[in-house]
Amino acid sequence: MDEAVLDVIRNIQDLPTLPSVAMEVMTLAKAPDVSIREISECIYRDPPLATKVLRVANSTFYRRGSQEIETLHRAILMMGLGEVIGITTSVSVLSLLGARDSRGASMRASFWNHCVATGLIARRIDRKLGMKSQGRDFVGGLLHDIGKIILDGYFHDRFEQACELSSRRRCPLHLAEQEVLGTTHMEVGHYLTRKWNLPPYLVDITLHHHHPDKAQFRDLTALVSMADLLAKARDLSCCGDTPPFVLKDQEAWETLVKLGYPMDGLDVERITFEIEDIAQEVEAYITTASEAAPEAAHG
Amino acid sequence: MADYLAFPVPQMTDETFWLLRDFVYEHSGIYFADNKKPQLENRLGLRLRANNLPDFDKYYYLLKYDPQAARELRALFDSVTTNETSFFRSPPQIQAFQEKVLPEIIERRVADGGRTLRLWSAGCSTGDEPYTMGIVVREVLKEAVVGWDIRIFASDISEKALKSARSAQYSEYTLRSVPPEIKRKYFTQSGSQYTVNEEIRSLVDLQYLNFNDAARVRLMKGFDVIFCRNVLIYFDDEAKKRFVAQLYDNLNPGGYLFIGHSESLHNISRAFKLVHFPGALGYKKE
Repeated sequence: MDEAVLDVIRNIQDLPTLPSVAMEVMTLAKAPDVSIREISECIYRDPPLATKVLRVANSTFYRRGSQEIETLHRAILMMGLGEVIGITTSVSVLSLLGARDSRGASMRASFWNHCVATGLIARRIDRKLGMKSQGRDFVGGLLHDIGKIILDGYFHDRFEQACELSSRRRCPLHLAEQEVLGTTHMEVGHYLTRKWNLPPYLVDITLHHHHPDKAQFRDLTALVSMADLLAKARDLSCCGDTPPFVLKDQEAWETLVKLGYPMDGLDVERITFEIEDIAQEVEAYITTASEAAPEAAHG
Repeated sequence: MADYLAFPVPQMTDETFWLLRDFVYEHSGIYFADNKKPQLENRLGLRLRANNLPDFDKYYYLLKYDPQAARELRALFDSVTTNETSFFRSPPQIQAFQEKVLPEIIERRVADGGRTLRLWSAGCSTGDEPYTMGIVVREVLKEAVVGWDIRIFASDISEKALKSARSAQYSEYTLRSVPPEIKRKYFTQSGSQYTVNEEIRSLVDLQYLNFNDAARVRLMKGFDVIFCRNVLIYFDDEAKKRFVAQLYDNLNPGGYLFIGHSESLHNISRAFKLVHFPGALGYKKE
């Protein structure tokens, strides 16, 4: 293995870790026969986490009815287990990596803008295609680029160099990362999601979102990959070059066609226009999520 | 008169906005983003008054179920169309034209040795668009511009608009999106009026053209880029399909069509490749 890659991985050993309860929820969520009660009791063992999850569940972003959701049990009944586990995952990760670094504050803000936008677009397309990803679309979009946060936080100067190189040479960011850092945000994200015991679909999305056809969860990864591109096209990008593209020629699109989704009926223009609306939702989500995560980084 | 002014303007609920937005999109291909709700409310408020209706729900029912709906639809389109035009309108589209499309076409021309550029501003109104195109071409080619044969064909159906375009005089307001150095370079200021310099005017060929004159439109051949922004709303679906198919034929292979920044060709044409540029869409003929 490349000496630089070894170096990266060695240095990553002092990464923040997810709180134990969050780790436990992730493990429980993997069990096929997990009950509502098991999950809610587990989250309640970390009262600040439970409060944050409920706050997000009651935000305008998720809330469906007019009645406030007061317990996790009710949240799961109303929203589904998948959505609540998704909220728990995103709240845990955002608490840990949200606004930690004041040095790269503006990059951090545009980073989360891009990720929330990707999640929201993924969710819209999921509905249009009837994929029923149960919240994994949003969480997948939200966390697909998590490796970038680590690269930016731990290898700030070299990561910036990679971003500049990508813009200058008009090449994809991960190629520039490979050249400057000896690794990519996908590899780092893959390492991190496994270390944190995050659900397998997230491990898959972080590693393969630039080549969804290689993924095990091909439909979800292709969905996030497509949303990632569309978010970048609407200037909701965070770093590196954004070249023009034809969506129908992308691997993500072709993968979804192969999997039998009704891509022909998808109104790409309209989805693109709707991203205008999503930009406002992005603001709202980031506000809620940062309110819900006041005490960051205790790992 | 007093009664007319006193007519209360009802609020448009979000739900009604979504219904009307979908209806307008389905029938015109124009999308009103959430932040355009006040605009739609304003414009359709006038239609509400004209039809003497108490609220927007009733207006929606009229569009959807009334036997007179077709006529009202026409009036609705007229009211949602912005006749306003300005230099560098919809900046992300102009940026895509300047930074991606023109360099791509120029590179191809240089490679095959024919240094010509043919552009068309279809529905050029008072000339802001074709002159903007001229300025952008000049900015991209810089000094090399002398070696090129460049024609920007600009057409409109309104003689009045064409006359104004020929005078090439504009107010400060029309130039509000123009960067100061571009203003200095390509305009001559006299009081509050700005006149486009001869260097740019000489690139632009202004002519009367009715898009219904199929024979003449067919003669427009060999374009590299066509801007046809906020024009298609005036056609019904069938006419739109025919006209867009014609525009496709009017383009060179590798050429681009730009329509209004919130207009869509979904359901109108599948011939083009839809290209996503940062903040803008373009249609490419392959």
